[in-house]
Amino acid sequence: MGNKNLFILLGASVALLASVNVQAAGDAEAGRKKAELCAGCHGIANYRNAYPSYRVPKLGGQHAEYLIAALKAYKSGERDHPPMKGSAASLSEQDMLDIAAFLSGK
Amino acid sequence: MLRRWLLLSVPVCVVLMSGPLLAAGDPAAGREKSQACAACHGPDGNSPAPQFPKLAGQYPDYLVHALTAYQNGERKNPMMQQMAAPLSEQDIKDLAAYYASQQGLNLRWKLK
Repeated sequence: MGNKNLFILLGASVALLASVNVQAAGDAEAGRKKAELCAGCHGIANYRNAYPSYRVPKLGGQHAEYLIAALKAYKSGERDHPPMKGSAASLSEQDMLDIAAFLSGK
Repeated sequence: MLRRWLLLSVPVCVVLMSGPLLAAGDPAAGREKSQACAACHGPDGNSPAPQFPKLAGQYPDYLVHALTAYQNGERKNPMMQQMAAPLSEQDIKDLAAYYASQQGLNLRWKLK
């Protein structure tokens, strides 16, 4: 019986540890919904805002890690761009993971 | 006399108008200039490493903005600031034109 309890304990520990990774990964389907707002600028071909005058960059297929770094930099102000700061301000870490997972996909 | 001055105005106008035309980025020149960039961003801008962004297929004017921002310190990144420092305005345009001409990034939503 001792061995069985130990086995259960080990199994539960492994499952718990593994679940940390699952939660920390981005969910592309959740990201699709969360990224709907982003499409307004980033989803229209050749879209320009009134200011600045360069085109809003394409994000489709970009590395998720880079997208997350960019969103964090906009949120913190390290990258200075008021429209992006506003967009990133309300995003949680999980939101960023999910959005990046969606954008980096096909 | 008037006719001579009018005649002179033609080449003068051509020279004045040639600036914006010649200043456009040249993808072939950009490819040559991109050797240093390939180490991180890949030979065609499809960077294999996740921390270095893909450049392939990006809008050229956005890439010009980014390189210029690294040059003037508006965007801070020690590696990129170092890479951008020696670039001329024409270099930046050529590099941007090269990466823009490659296949890679897309519009995720395919909206019109």
